[in-house]
Amino acid sequence: MYETLSFDERGDLALLTLKRSRINVKQIRELERVLDHLEDVSKAKALVIRGHSEGIDFLDFDPREAMDIHGFNKWEKLVNRLEALDKVTVALIDGPCVGGGFQLTMVCDQRICVPTATFQLPEVRLGFLPGMATFRLAKYVGLGHAKRIVMTGTVLGAEEAQRLGLVDAVALDLDAALASTLASFGAMHTVAFTLARRLLNESYGTQGEDALGNFLAAQHRAISQTAFLDTLRAERKKT
Amino acid sequence: MLDLRPRILSVGTANPPERWSQQELLDRFKVTDPKITSLFTSSHIRSRHLYLPPGKPEGGPEEETQGDLLRKHRRGTIEVAPSAVQACLGPMGLTVKDIDYLCCITSTGWLTPGVSAILIKTMGFREDCSRVDIVGMGCNAGLNGLNPVSAWAMANPGRNALMVCNEICSAAYVFDGSMRTAIVNSLFGDGVAAVLVRASEQDERAFAPKILGFDSHIIPPAMDAMRFDWDEEQGKYSFFLDRDIPYVVGANAEKPVGRLLAKFGLRRRHISHWIVHSGGKKVVDAIKYNVGLTDYDVRHTHSVLRDYGNLSSGSFLFSYARLLQEGRVRRGDYGILMTMGPGSTIETALIRW
Repeated sequence: MYETLSFDERGDLALLTLKRSRINVKQIRELERVLDHLEDVSKAKALVIRGHSEGIDFLDFDPREAMDIHGFNKWEKLVNRLEALDKVTVALIDGPCVGGGFQLTMVCDQRICVPTATFQLPEVRLGFLPGMATFRLAKYVGLGHAKRIVMTGTVLGAEEAQRLGLVDAVALDLDAALASTLASFGAMHTVAFTLARRLLNESYGTQGEDALGNFLAAQHRAISQTAFLDTLRAERKKT
Repeated sequence: MLDLRPRILSVGTANPPERWSQQELLDRFKVTDPKITSLFTSSHIRSRHLYLPPGKPEGGPEEETQGDLLRKHRRGTIEVAPSAVQACLGPMGLTVKDIDYLCCITSTGWLTPGVSAILIKTMGFREDCSRVDIVGMGCNAGLNGLNPVSAWAMANPGRNALMVCNEICSAAYVFDGSMRTAIVNSLFGDGVAAVLVRASEQDERAFAPKILGFDSHIIPPAMDAMRFDWDEEQGKYSFFLDRDIPYVVGANAEKPVGRLLAKFGLRRRHISHWIVHSGGKKVVDAIKYNVGLTDYDVRHTHSVLRDYGNLSSGSFLFSYARLLQEGRVRRGDYGILMTMGPGSTIETALIRW
């Protein structure tokens, strides 16, 4: 069914494993198909993306032809969709996490890696830009670290990545770490969860009255859901 | 078989000549009540086109009776609407003589004969031009009009239908120092938008979107949230906006959008362009977080609000015009038009280039 990845769904858990170490057009199309399924059909509560990636496949580009930006736009749209998914998303990183692969993990809600994992955005050294990761990275690590990572293309080890807040856990046993991470999310209220994620993602870009307006609109949506009403009823029963 | 869906072939807009910043309005009428001044200055709106009475030396505007306001509405219609119609028809190489069906929409003044009759007389439309006036439906009315206009075009292939959203909101202003009227006076602006709609084989290759369908949603419990009713004390009609409107609209916005998408087997990600009524900052925020739209999706909604205020029924067509100007629309793209207003109501339409 897929060539560049495998996808499996068991109950509340959807598992996507990257099987190609470089991201090519085929893999992007297959990731889009997986996202179509996750958005339209899947009842899973969590998506786990497992594997490693060396970044984009340069063999997809022909230096004899005019460069075109649409493929990059397609990629960013895909990343945005993953970021907005109505499920908990966890990246399990078992090796190098480079360029586009690094980008994918950054839009997940949590990142867990093995001690030998490495993180790198080598794009600028290679003459292009690391996508919208340029914007996302600084929110995780602060502008100073982001400049060093993006502009020098330095390779970060698992321990440093964790210290900077890029990785939530480093573990030899990824499955055990995943189980405890998923348990930490508890029962998920989809609307509140996705709205909170959206406001957090917007947190550095929106200020003052605009931020307040956004918050009030989101909060009204949250408190109009049955999840919040159930909370209120449960609290009443306690007293 | 040829798919003869009607298309929006052209759009034109126009505004009265005088443009005001929020601060200029406060200065003109010497408004000092801090609650009202902060309402004006903290607003997302930077400027609006308005027909304003002179200020009195002691502050406030010169008195305008309901009769004065009705005359202002008529005068504004005659001065502004023809420019919007020309801007719409000119690029198509058409004149008003080519129009077979005229639909005029207004909520800012009562006229009998209506706006359509006035435009036919002043602009020289043909005597056999069919017409309809949609009066008093408010900010959503542009889509309440586009629905029958589109149906007329379908039933009369090859013939030209023109819809004119004609709103002289400054003819619906009441100045009484209350927050109720200050909210209205800080928000609405004057402007006219016109669109040409036609279902014709000759447009098969035109880069103009087909109108595919509509979905409406009315919220009867919120009937009084937006209303234009008689103010006994002032002897005028006065508009009222409930502070909960953004939340009422937000909580229901997904319903018509969901139904419209479902009718055509589409998902939200298939919609490239959202053309949303510039109702006010909070209403647009509510739509954003309930329908899942980004600031990018509502960029023209925001910029039209910023530059013109709420233009009532024509607002979304100003956004539509900006979208076309921007030049990013591609053939095959889907768009959703969305307006909201008294009822309370949310109207939607699906289009495709």
